[in-house]
Amino acid sequence: MNREKVVFSFFMILALTLNFGFFAGEVDNPSHHNVYELFAVIIVNLIATVLKFGDRSQMGAMLLATSLVALVQLFSASIVWAYVVNIQGNEMTPDTMSTIISLSGGAMIANFISVILLIIETSMMRH
Amino acid sequence: MSLVTSLIMRQMRVPIIILIIGYSISILGMVLASGIDDQGNPWHMSFFDAFYFVSFTATTIGFGEIPYTFSNEQRTWALITIYLTVIAWFYSLGKIVSLVQDPMFREALKANQFSQQLARIPDTFILICGFGETGHALAKALTERNIHTVVIEENDKLIQTLPLEDFPLVIPGIKGDARDPEKLILAGLQHKKCAAVIAVTASDETNLKIAVTSKLLNPEICVVCRSEIEEFESNMFSFGTDFVVNPFETFADIFGMAMHSPSLHLLYDWLTGVPDTDLTNPIYVEEGHWIICGFGRFGNDLYKQLLKSNVQVTIIDPSEEKREAFLGRPENKSNDFIIGTGFDAHTLTVAGVTKAVGLISGTDNDSNNLSIIMTARELNPELFIVARHNKKSNEKLFEATHANIVMQPSEIIARKIRTLLVSPLMIAFLNKARNQDASWANVTISRIMGALGDSVPSIWTLHVNKDEARALCQVLHLGRVIRVGNLLQNPRQRENQLEAVPLMLKRNQKLLLMPTNDIAIKSGDQILFCGTPGALRSMQWSQNDIHSLNYIMTYEDTHDAFIWRKIQQLIKQSDRRNRPRRKRHIMK
Repeated sequence: MNREKVVFSFFMILALTLNFGFFAGEVDNPSHHNVYELFAVIIVNLIATVLKFGDRSQMGAMLLATSLVALVQLFSASIVWAYVVNIQGNEMTPDTMSTIISLSGGAMIANFISVILLIIETSMMRH
Repeated sequence: MSLVTSLIMRQMRVPIIILIIGYSISILGMVLASGIDDQGNPWHMSFFDAFYFVSFTATTIGFGEIPYTFSNEQRTWALITIYLTVIAWFYSLGKIVSLVQDPMFREALKANQFSQQLARIPDTFILICGFGETGHALAKALTERNIHTVVIEENDKLIQTLPLEDFPLVIPGIKGDARDPEKLILAGLQHKKCAAVIAVTASDETNLKIAVTSKLLNPEICVVCRSEIEEFESNMFSFGTDFVVNPFETFADIFGMAMHSPSLHLLYDWLTGVPDTDLTNPIYVEEGHWIICGFGRFGNDLYKQLLKSNVQVTIIDPSEEKREAFLGRPENKSNDFIIGTGFDAHTLTVAGVTKAVGLISGTDNDSNNLSIIMTARELNPELFIVARHNKKSNEKLFEATHANIVMQPSEIIARKIRTLLVSPLMIAFLNKARNQDASWANVTISRIMGALGDSVPSIWTLHVNKDEARALCQVLHLGRVIRVGNLLQNPRQRENQLEAVPLMLKRNQKLLLMPTNDIAIKSGDQILFCGTPGALRSMQWSQNDIHSLNYIMTYEDTHDAFIWRKIQQLIKQSDRRNRPRRKRHIMK
């Protein structure tokens, strides 16, 4: 058992599940989407990305790329949230919520691809 | 991704993750902790506020309790935030600093820098193995002639001095054992721009290994080796080493030349010297009684040269074995070999120093050589002295002795190899010049001096082919005749002569010394010139620029641009139309 692989897979899958948890629910209903969950997704995704730093293999490069895509999407979502609620000082509207959710949906697809790549890599390993 | 960045990234994983975790715990805590706003209502920080607070706290900026005064619960979290994030930052910074100081990282950084410098070399380059005195002199000589070099050297100190020295071109240097093929490849052995490998380490064995490796891994490459021992020399030649340079043999050869034909020696000295330095004066070696102190490789080679002339030679050497070997040959007399060191007046007197014309101090110890020279000079101030100079650091001392010829192995090798690499035709020229008599050399010398003045000329070879002489080939292709003399015309003012002298013409493996101005040039010729750098630049114009060539040859100039060519054709056509009418008119 490779500890590095376990840790990385753990964070990768956790990022996907948390992302799904945040994404699930009505798109424009703020009460269906928890801000703490978004926070957790971002942190877990950050860690998963950093874990792939300096990996010179082809698969490592692909995983780094998908994680970075997910991060970009999630950061955009959180910036939209912070801009509307904290900077403009408005209440959360269904419009804004649906923007945030669609962005996090994109991040979920990137995370999903990461997990699939992970599965491919694992199944290709021969011991 | 290069090795260095990947190394940094890998090492940075843990510190960055620790920072992320520290930040996330702090932010989450600050959001969860309940506080009271300015109206006294219960209040929670938003993620935005929390991130702001943690950011300025973690970086020890500390704006204070923003936006409302904290409750005790929030202060508890603020405490945790301070200790957690500040420690995380310290840890990460410490990690970065230790990474920068890591020897492995530094090595990787240097290798990276080296390969970048290698990639930036625009031309072909020459790989020098060993950056001792010879390698140093060679690198200097080659870069002075605008040839790029790359150095591999085992000694870290010598490599570190590379960037500090003032070479005309940047010389990328890499630390490593040149016997290791991996290192040689890293240094650019298989690089497509690598033109030659020069093995000039102190050990013949290492040089041999480098030559074998180079010929095996890159058979196309030109390999030049330094060798002082005959066995290694023949071994090196056996697998196709292009040139093997033996400092003692080379020097003995030059010495022989100076002895038999001072003017030829002078010619050699000029044509192989460093351009733009002052010309040297001729050296006249007298015939008569000579003394050789030290009968090693150096003394032996010079002895053979001396025997070719009408001289009597006495040898001084402390070795009994050498004496026996010397006396083993029947033609040698016993009082021609004296056992002794040579730096005491008694031995020198016995050898006949007072009546001798010349003395060679050729031991492998500089102090002994200096001592021999001083003692001999006292006994006979008129002596012609040839000194062997082993260590570069003693240069000032040998200068002070005013010896007539000082032999410095590294200089000799550097000069020889530079000539080999810079102008291969030069070697052919010098070999051919050997067979000429003294009057030929005198005429050549006065011709060069007349054309160029009194500084060492630059040497270049004109290859008459499409790449190097575009315009010349174009015109030759039209069937026009261009002579050697035309090339010597100045493309700015065709009545003026360039400061250059053609030394040799090579056509279909045939060599012609000092070609005269009326010889017609053919495509495929190679012409060796000596001259000023300015003359080289001017000549390149008339070789490659059709307008300059037209001007020199007083051809009508042609236009490059389409419109101008059309106009020119129109003018010509109208000329032609006009001409017959006039003729008819005349006929009437």
